[in-house]
Amino acid sequence: MSSGTEMNAESSKWLDAHYDPVANLYTFSSCIDLADLNGDGENRLVIGDLGTGSSNMKLKVYRGTALMNESTLLDLPTGLVSFLMDLHEPRIPAIAVASGPFIYVYKNLRPYFKFTLPSLEINALEQDVWQQAREGQIDPLALKELLEGIRDTADVPLSVRSLRYLGLETQDMEEFVSLHKQQPIRRQTVITCIGTLKKSSADEDGVSCLVIGTESNDVYILDPEAFTILSKLSLPSAPTMMDVTGQFDVEFRITVACRNGNIYILRRESSKPKYCIELSSHPVGLVRVGKNVVVGCAEERLYGFTQKGKKLWTAQLPAPITTMATMDLPTRGFQAVLVGLANCEVHLYRDKNLVSTIKSPDVVTGLRFGRYGREDGALVMTTKGGGLAVKILKRTAAFDERDAAPGPPPAQSVRLNVPKKTKLYVDQTLREREHATAMHRAFQMDLSRVRLAAAQAYVRALEASLTPMSANPAAPLKLNAVVQGLGPAFKLTLNVQNTAASRPILNLTVSFLYDGGLYSMRTPYFRIPLLVPGLVYPFETLVECTSDKGISDVIKVFVLHDGKTAPLLTAHINMPVSEGLALE
Amino acid sequence: MGLFDKLAGWLGLKKKEVNVLCLGLDNSGKTTIINKLKPSNAQTQDIVPTIGFNIEKFKTSSLSFTVFDMSGQGRYRNLWEHYYKEGQAIIFVIDSADKLRMVVAKEELDTLLNHPDVKHRRVPILFFANKMDVREALSSVKVSQLLCLENIKDKPWHICASDALRGEGLPEGVDWLQGRVVNSIVLKSKSIVSLH
Ligand SMILES: Nc1nc2c(ncn2[C@@H]2O[C@H](COP(=O)(O)OP(=O)(O)OP(=O)(O)O)[C@@H](O)[C@H]2O)c(=O)[nH]1
Ligand SMILES: [Mg+2]
Repeated sequence: MSSGTEMNAESSKWLDAHYDPVANLYTFSSCIDLADLNGDGENRLVIGDLGTGSSNMKLKVYRGTALMNESTLLDLPTGLVSFLMDLHEPRIPAIAVASGPFIYVYKNLRPYFKFTLPSLEINALEQDVWQQAREGQIDPLALKELLEGIRDTADVPLSVRSLRYLGLETQDMEEFVSLHKQQPIRRQTVITCIGTLKKSSADEDGVSCLVIGTESNDVYILDPEAFTILSKLSLPSAPTMMDVTGQFDVEFRITVACRNGNIYILRRESSKPKYCIELSSHPVGLVRVGKNVVVGCAEERLYGFTQKGKKLWTAQLPAPITTMATMDLPTRGFQAVLVGLANCEVHLYRDKNLVSTIKSPDVVTGLRFGRYGREDGALVMTTKGGGLAVKILKRTAAFDERDAAPGPPPAQSVRLNVPKKTKLYVDQTLREREHATAMHRAFQMDLSRVRLAAAQAYVRALEASLTPMSANPAAPLKLNAVVQGLGPAFKLTLNVQNTAASRPILNLTVSFLYDGGLYSMRTPYFRIPLLVPGLVYPFETLVECTSDKGISDVIKVFVLHDGKTAPLLTAHINMPVSEGLALE
Repeated sequence: MGLFDKLAGWLGLKKKEVNVLCLGLDNSGKTTIINKLKPSNAQTQDIVPTIGFNIEKFKTSSLSFTVFDMSGQGRYRNLWEHYYKEGQAIIFVIDSADKLRMVVAKEELDTLLNHPDVKHRRVPILFFANKMDVREALSSVKVSQLLCLENIKDKPWHICASDALRGEGLPEGVDWLQGRVVNSIVLKSKSIVSLH
């Protein structure tokens, strides 16, 4: 079973203990558990098999590589858990299988008890209408109309019977009414997920309560022995996945992923959710690692949250998630998350770091890590095609702390040595916190002023054509000037560029304005030839400082267009002080 | 040890002491096997999972064995290698009914065979395919196939099916082991004789 180089890296971690590609299993992680059903220290694998999806549902028990026991289930299993329900010796766990509104409890693999969810409140109007139908006061068509009216307006939804009735063809109604009218109406919800919660002791072999989520947006906690409802908690939406931790009598926490795409965290002290995590896409997997919650989303991402719902990290996955499970190895202090992916891989994440990738011949749809047989580090995988695989973690397997996936260098996550907060800093922060509004306003006011001043200056510059860039779209020009020399003779170079995309500019002239008492210029006025776009044209002229008093002045340059009075461009050249002596 | 002692050993006057390591996964039946090899008045009735290791002694017609009965539990398996140096022979016990963990047994065996203290020594290895009385147990041939024993070329080895509860298969295995150990002593002392 070693093909390719990636396999080799993995074969240093996992042993292939068993693979049966045709085990004929149709199941999901929620219906797989490992438990010491005989009390002999050897864990069995218990699977709620969905059969064909409509028939042939089975409760299957594996011992090692062989199917040991098989019993028929009456309905599709939605969840399966093993739990210790009493303190009788030998301490053998019971199996609870949730299907429809029932929980079937098995002890020693024999049916032991059946729990039924309490039925829901029935719409009084609906009851009245059926009463009338029974007494023959209304005909089937009138019944239909009345029920439709109730359906559209009432707060309490209709029972399944009425809903089925509304879907019937007219000719079938008569018969349906006569068949059902005598029975009372019932409105029943179904179980969507199941978990266990230790009653009062945190010990491994403590008695556990069953925790069930229902389609009617409720979570029930059941007494382990009497199966009475100990507590009822309500959610804003129907729960789909659940993680339970803590003890019922002390403190517990139920993390529930709901059909509305949110995750709610329920606590012992209140019957309403304490925290809510809103996700950007639907959760498809939910597991807990230590105190943190790891959620897999439909958008191929994995998120880590604290137990209060604060996001810690995000990891991008290469394919959609099929299933998730925790990998907890207390003997080695190792905890991680297993993520089954649609690309036939199972990824192992420790926080956001991918530490191992397991390749499977088929898409893995069910995952369970724990003690199987006598091996603590067993990974049970069921596949889409009905296969069953068991891998065993090697005693010597070591997981790299580092991320196996390519990503940012580790230096990026090195913590910076941020200095301690000074009193000044703290005072400043407090002041900012208290006067945030006033400070924001003052800032906005000043910002507006700056903008206004800038705009005014810009307008002035445009009006006076003071800018070294021409704003005229017909003649886009750029100008800069360079003065060379020490004096009294200076060389003035003007670099003119036509910044238009393709159009040349014609008929330009340059004129200088200066104090005739200070300077004299050889060519105070000249014409510019045609300017080809993009090229920089240097024009040189000589300026002589005629004063020897060591003063300087500004020389203004105007670029003019024939036939226009306003200059296209204006530039001010601050002349340097003449340092040289004029040759007499 | 002098030549006289050796001669005395062959003549059965004084038995040669041999250190044997008893290895294998937890629950494979190591302690049960060792217990069965002891004289019947020294056997215990209740056998519990071994913690760490136990030292046991038993004698055959010509040898006196000191057995290190190691615990096979995962957390104690890293103790094994500290005793490899002392071991003059190895008994490796396999639960032939535990098909799931056959890969784990193979893994531990491979680690043992590749250990520097074992790799280049011709230590004889006796395999017990134990629990042959269990209905779903694999045959010794199948076990030897799954463990790839045919790949062991540089050490004498032997596998026998056993039922430690009733002691079946144990004498056959121990006879073989005794033969190999005596053989190696004879070889060694021959070379001593030729030196003289
Ligand atoms: N059916 C059957 N059971 C056996 C046989 N040998 C041992 N056992 C049982 O297997 C269990 C484990 O035996 P141990 O001798 O304690 O196993 P071990 O290899 O010493 O285990 P550790 O000390 O934990 O490494 C006991 O309940 C034995 O009674 C056998 O040949 N057949
Ligand atoms: Mg033992």
